Amino acid sequence: MHVVIAKVDEVLYRGEAHSLTVPGVAGEMTILGHHEPVITTLKKGDVRVKATASADPQIIPIDGGVLEVNASSATVIL
Amino acid sequence: MASLKQIKGNIAAMKKSQAVTRAMEAVAAAKMRKSQQRALAGRAYARAAATVLARVSGTRDVHLHPLAMTNTAAPRGLYIVITSDKGLAGALNSAVLKGAVSDMAREGLSPKDVSVIAIGKKAHDYFASRGFTIMHHVSNTDMLSSEDTRTIIARAQERYMGGEYRFVKVAYQNFVSTFEQRPTLRGVFPLAIEELTKVVADIVPAKGADAESESVAPTTYTIEPSAEEVIGAIMPRLASVILYHALLESQASEHSARMVAMKSASDKAGEKQHELTLKFNKARQAAITREVSEIIGGMEAVAH
Repeated sequence: MHVVIAKVDEVLYRGEAHSLTVPGVAGEMTILGHHEPVITTLKKGDVRVKATASADPQIIPIDGGVLEVNASSATVIL
Repeated sequence: MASLKQIKGNIAAMKKSQAVTRAMEAVAAAKMRKSQQRALAGRAYARAAATVLARVSGTRDVHLHPLAMTNTAAPRGLYIVITSDKGLAGALNSAVLKGAVSDMAREGLSPKDVSVIAIGKKAHDYFASRGFTIMHHVSNTDMLSSEDTRTIIARAQERYMGGEYRFVKVAYQNFVSTFEQRPTLRGVFPLAIEELTKVVADIVPAKGADAESESVAPTTYTIEPSAEEVIGAIMPRLASVILYHALLESQASEHSARMVAMKSASDKAGEKQHELTLKFNKARQAAITREVSEIIGGMEAVAH
């Protein structure tokens, strides 16, 4: 799954990832590959990206944002 | 005729000015490259935000959002004008100011009906001295970040949603190439999808090393919690993309205009130096000739 996490002036993460955990407005959700297409708003919290199943997650604190997921990629805009 | 000493002094002064303009030219060139890199870094975001909006708009009518609707009844207009803080950049700033003022005339607005958010000292000085309301003023430095543009957009958005302004526009200098900048006026609110696609198209090159591949959009998305919420979250972000890129464009324009202005100043200084050196040589030769004829005249007088 290709993951992009971007601010207006900076790309915080770009690359392949095993899983992506985000603070959705309806509760925390974890996205793996081949997730159903979804667009949701995010609230304040931490975004965690794991490059592989066993890797330590990379933690990115956010104030809010929007997540878009389709079959092959996930995009978080802050 | 100027004395030899005077001309010598002029040549030295010209040399010093040339050293200064050369240095400013080099600094402007380095800053210009930096602005271009920042513009590239922002592309991923602009593209993603526009894609999300396009996909959401397929499911629900984006035009019904309050930020996309025109306040036809509002009497006032809000202009965000971006200029540089410093001069020495040719006709860069005056073109932007002129563009903004002529647009106000087109909209039938007098200075008292216009509020201005001034980014850059030149814009602030110009509008403050002409009786416009300055709503907010920040200096235009390379340190301005996306947080600053978001704050500005939040202010503008709040007033726009309050029905105070008919529109919010941004006036800036668009970077076409190092030698060409164009004063540009873009609408921020009401937010129009067509305007956004234009902005994103300007940022994202269609091909080449920096082009990105288009992913195929699936037809149906689960939208949480609701399309209205998502549109409400994405619209201010897109507005700040427009402003942020206007800012980067104007910075790239400023630096390249200054670079060109300083280059022609350096060239002119070189030319002037050459001219003065010729003048110096002529004056020196004249002085020598005069001295020689004085000596010969003296000898003749003694001999007779």
